Amino acid sequence: MSYLVCVLLFRLMVGSVGVASNPSPYFAAMGLVMESGVGCGVLICFGGSFLPLVFFLIYLGGMMVVFAFSAALSAEPYPYGWGNRSVKMYVAAYVLGVGCAWKVLLGKWSGFWGGILDESGELLVLRGGMMGVAAMHDVGGWMLVLGGLGLLLTLFVVLELVRGVSRGGLRTV
Amino acid sequence: MNPYLLIVLLTSLGLGTALTLSSTHWLLAWLGLEVGTLAILPLMAQRHHPRATEAATKYFIVQATAAATLLFAAFNNAWLQGHSDIQHMSHPLFTSMITLALLLKLGLAPMHTWMPQVIQGVSLNTGLIVSTWQKIAPFILLLQIKQIHPPLLTIIGLASILIGGWGGLNQTQLRKILAYSSIAHLGWILLILQHSTALATYALLIYIFMTSATFITLKKCKATTINMLTTTWTKAPTITLVAPLMLLSLGGLPPLSGFAPKWFILQELTQLNFIPHASIAAMAALLSLSYYLRLSYSITLSLSPNNLPECLQWRVNYPISTPLSSALPAALALTLFLLPLTPSALTLII
Repeated sequence: MSYLVCVLLFRLMVGSVGVASNPSPYFAAMGLVMESGVGCGVLICFGGSFLPLVFFLIYLGGMMVVFAFSAALSAEPYPYGWGNRSVKMYVAAYVLGVGCAWKVLLGKWSGFWGGILDESGELLVLRGGMMGVAAMHDVGGWMLVLGGLGLLLTLFVVLELVRGVSRGGLRTV
Repeated sequence: MNPYLLIVLLTSLGLGTALTLSSTHWLLAWLGLEVGTLAILPLMAQRHHPRATEAATKYFIVQATAAATLLFAAFNNAWLQGHSDIQHMSHPLFTSMITLALLLKLGLAPMHTWMPQVIQGVSLNTGLIVSTWQKIAPFILLLQIKQIHPPLLTIIGLASILIGGWGGLNQTQLRKILAYSSIAHLGWILLILQHSTALATYALLIYIFMTSATFITLKKCKATTINMLTTTWTKAPTITLVAPLMLLSLGGLPPLSGFAPKWFILQELTQLNFIPHASIAAMAALLSLSYYLRLSYSITLSLSPNNLPECLQWRVNYPISTPLSSALPAALALTLFLLPLTPSALTLII
């Protein structure tokens, strides 16, 4: 089980490096998809049921959709992949950074806590994730309203920033 | 801009700051800060020319970085401590991280490099909002954090005063000068924050009045460079009379109200035996004073070459009225005449 977690986390790092090394958004999107899949897998290995699905949903259904629209609006004829020299340099730098961090931290974090995805460390009837969602809707109701207001404001802001045909940031939208 | 959208954005700006001011939980404070950041972006990019779009992009990236660091440190602290109370943070690493995030939001040295570029790229009114209103929410959060590592605040405060002074010396663009002046004033506020929160609040309040008066004056004169200030006497002779006093109040000279915060900050530092801090701050204030004097010289103390028709603008365009004109008398009165009222003003804050 811990081997599976190690493999998934390794893939998470590979995906992160692939995104952060600044290729064209088409390829970076693939890195993000892989990251979301393995992140979901890591959370499942730690025992969660609802939270990994939320993770998957937000990554793919939220971030990826916005990413895809941005990539479609910024189309280019010769996109940079990971074989491009400048992208390869970034990949090398990030791999070096991850290697250094691994060397420094190896041995300091040990043990695999195969418990339920929970902080209390004891046996519970309801899972922590479910209780959290229920509490968020019950006690934190007004916070959800404020969060929704914030998201609505974000919609207005984005629509105002990108509209304009000839005078906006994007010429054909 | 569409008036409905303008109302939504300005209301959200107020809502964001109100949320942060009324919060005891870090999540709500972060939410308020983010709402404020988002609401001002279309106001910044209103004119849709590349400089404004660039300024909006830089502002967004900087504020988003600061908000992300804030959220990261707040949740780490909550994990270790068990609660997300703003006023009871105890972990030193995450307290310092949150402090640095808030100082990045405020634009203090050495995280100040975005300020001149952003304020230069936007219009004078939006620059006013960024310089005054957007400082309130991070400042209130800073007030509530206890046990910040003292050398952090002192070094960043002194560095900000020095960089605000030296940075503004070589500028001819007025918005950049006001950005560096903002950095310097916030440095003074940060210097006294750990010793007396009442004085820090008073200093911020006086700074907001002085900066508002300056921005509104510049808007009325339609001046964005020092050269454009030289024709102020043709447009509004009364402003020509009062503007040097306003700028000297920014510089912190008695008997104007800008002197009161600096006076009390120096007194407090001296009483607590921080003599080097007080000396460096007082000497660095002279750097800022030199560029305020340069502006006063251009406005009032010298007569630049001009042609006859331009000398009579005040007869034709009187009175110059911008949307914020009605706020100028109040802001000017508060900038110039508040020093004798300092004892009663301080009792309101202490």
